[in-house]
Formats: sequence, C-alpha cells, structure tokens
Amino acid sequence: MGRTWQDMEAFEAFLDDGGIVEVDDHMPDEYRHAVFTFIEMHANSEYMGGLTERDWIPKTPGLRHKMSVLAKTQDEIGHGHLLYMVAADMGIKTRTEMIEDLMAGRSRFHNVFHYKAETWGDQVAIAFLVDAAALASQQAVFKNCSYGPYRRILKRIISEEGFHMRLGEDRMRRIAEGTQIQKDIFQGALDRWFWPALQLFGPDSKPDDKLLRWHIKSERNEVLRDKWVQKFVPMMHSYGFVVPASDLAYDEDTKKWDVGPIDWEPLKKTLAQGGPDSARRIREARDNWEATAWARRCLDGAAV
Amino acid sequence: MTAQHNPPAAPEVDLEAAVLSAIASVDDPEYPGVSIVDLGLLEHVEVRNGPVGGTLGVIVGVGLIPTFSGCPALEMIRSDVDRAIRAVAGVDDVSVNWLTSPAWTPDRVSMRGREALARDFTVAVSINNQATRCPRCGAKTTEQSMFGPSRCRGIHRCPNCSETVEVMRG
Repeated sequence: MGRTWQDMEAFEAFLDDGGIVEVDDHMPDEYRHAVFTFIEMHANSEYMGGLTERDWIPKTPGLRHKMSVLAKTQDEIGHGHLLYMVAADMGIKTRTEMIEDLMAGRSRFHNVFHYKAETWGDQVAIAFLVDAAALASQQAVFKNCSYGPYRRILKRIISEEGFHMRLGEDRMRRIAEGTQIQKDIFQGALDRWFWPALQLFGPDSKPDDKLLRWHIKSERNEVLRDKWVQKFVPMMHSYGFVVPASDLAYDEDTKKWDVGPIDWEPLKKTLAQGGPDSARRIREARDNWEATAWARRCLDGAAV
Repeated sequence: MTAQHNPPAAPEVDLEAAVLSAIASVDDPEYPGVSIVDLGLLEHVEVRNGPVGGTLGVIVGVGLIPTFSGCPALEMIRSDVDRAIRAVAGVDDVSVNWLTSPAWTPDRVSMRGREALARDFTVAVSINNQATRCPRCGAKTTEQSMFGPSRCRGIHRCPNCSETVEVMRG
C-alpha cells in the first residue's frame, strides 16, 4: 500500500528527486491540503467555465460554431467531473461538499469567470486570450507536477484545451477579417478581457511559494505572464487591434513588450466573490444545480 | 524498348504509399501523437488520374468516418488531411469527405492506437462488450458516468488503483 516518509525533510527530498506522489501514499497534511485546494479551484473553474460556454449555445452564430460551443461545454463539464473525482479521492471533502461550497460562494474559481460575456466577441476573446492563459498555467503545472493522479488527468485536459485554442484562433481570424462592425465588437471585447486574462496568472510568485517548493507548479507566475504578453501583444497588433494598456512599451534592448504596472485590486475582488458578475454567476449555477436534481436522481436510480 | 520507357506500376505504388503515410501523419486534435488512422477514421483512399484545371492530373479522394457525427473536430481534421496530401509530390488535387456510413465503432482503433491512448492519455478503449481494463494496472474498471468530456467517451474508475479512466466508446 502507500509509502510513508519520516518527516517533511525526507518528503521534500523525495519531491526534489522528481518523486511522484500517489493517492494511497501517506503524504504530509500540508501537502495534501495544498494539492487539494489547487485541484478544487481548477475543478470549480472548469465547471463555471462550462456554464458560461453553455449560455452561448442558443446565441452562437452559425452551425459550425454552435457545434464547437456545444462540444466545448461538454469538454469543460467533463473536465470538472474528472477533477472533482481526483480531488474527492484526497479525502478532504466529498464531491457534494465541494459543489455545495461552490454554490454557497465559499470556495474559489478563476477570476475570468466573475465577469459577464456581453457579446459573441467576448466569447471569441475568451477562447483566444483566456483559454491561452489557462492553458499556459496548466502546462506549467503538468510539466513537473508531483501529484500523479492530477498530472495524468492534466495531460488529457491540456490536449483538449490545445484543441480549444485552435478553435479560438479560427473564431478570432473570422471576426478579425470581417466587417468594421465585427472588428469594433471584437476590439470592445479585447478591451474588457485583456486585463482579466493577464491577471489570471496572479501576482509575482512569493519566494517561499509552497506550490513551487513541492513541485505542484513548475513555473513562477511572472514568467508565465510575461510569455503570454510576448505572444499576444504582437498577435493582436498583427490583426490590427489595439492593446488596451496605456503604458504599453517596447524595449529595444530586451526586444520585449512591457504592459506597465498591473492593478491587482480587480483580482482580489473576484477571489472574494466580489467581481462584476460573481453574484449572478453563483446564483445561476445554484439554480441550474437545483433544476437538474431530478436528472441526477434518475441516473442514480438507473445505475442500480 | 528505350531507356525513356517507364514501368507503369512502380510510381503509382510509391505515390499511394506516400499518400497513405501523409494521412497517417495527421494526429487527432485532442490526442497529439495518436494518428487518425490508428483511431480507425480512415475508410478509403483512391488515387486516380482525372481532369485537373483543364489537363490530366493525379486526384486523391479520401473517405473518413467520424467517431460521432456532431464531433467539433471534423473540419479541422478534414483540412489537416487535405493539407498533408497536397504536400505529397505528384498530387494535383485532393478531395476529403466525411462519410455517413459505416458507423465508427471502438474496435476500429488499432492495437498501436490502443497502446498509445493507454500509455500517453490513460484512456481505455471499450471493445464490444468486453470488460474495460485500467490502463495503469490492468484491473477491470467500473463505470462512473456515461458522460465524459465528449460524446465518444465515458468516465470509469479503477477499483484497484483508484485511477480515473476515460473510456472511448461507440
């Protein structure tokens, strides 16, 4: 059965050697809680993201896009499902407790799902900017993650998110090559989503960040954020859009873009469920959960 | 017989092999490293001579079948296959189509495909009515939900090693 470590020092030495922790190992409580909290937030974000995507199924323009939105909804909900299973296995909360905490506003989900997607342009911006940011941070976890069950699930999730990225680029290209009205709609969406997407990476990692020390994450927030900026600023320019950062500057020496100072207040608000659309999002998720209780009862019955 | 006379069979066989390997180089967009041929999506390939823009040229026709008809990756796979074949020297025109029959079933996944899915993605393939095996430890898995991240996948659990397993099914 599971392995045991004498103390935290021995456990950390095991992790530093590239050791992979499995579910039945006797891992230190702090590690168990850190991994659990991380996966729970990821699961909540997939679930809330799936509900956002679902809102757009009836409103999506064209059959091809509608199929992709339908499939993406199922993907996100499926990812949430897998992640809740892996999180529940850690023995801290059951899946039902996690869902109840989410519906009661007691647990966290990613900042980007605390904003309203106003137009189809917003959906395109989300698929293009936000999914890329989420993918970059998931890749940094997957690369070296010390918790085996999460690492294996992430590999599948990342491949699927990579597919969403291609869909996002396809949607973006279509709107960018469209009429002036379409371009204006997309510019408006970029203005709304650029900063939340950038804030998704979080403030600079602290020197004693436990997620880094225990090889749960393998890259510092500021490094990931910078990579994203270096990729997306030139891409937005190449399609003729304006990057909504008044202090945006290009450093000729380092050949890098700098977006200037970042205001972290909006991120803090979303983490305390005080984002512009937090209350409605949580309320609708709860209404949806209650309205579909009959289906879960039927499935439970059918499984006997 | 002169030196210019080409043996008729050899180049065509080479061309057909080159086309097949171009198709096999296309991966499933959700499983990088797993070829669409190993997933059983290729139904037929035809290499023939025909009119291309007023002259005679080599036309490749490909018939693919989807794992399910609402799959959002269809257009992406179609254009990836089209591009891969057009890159083959000697091909003048390509036509790639999704067929409505036969229906795809999991037993179309090749052994190599099953091994790659199990090894790289912890995904099992459900064959006929046989029990699905955990890709990590080989124990029989139990179904948790018929709804996975896609219409062609369900979610199972391994009672032995607790692994969460996705299962490809028809």
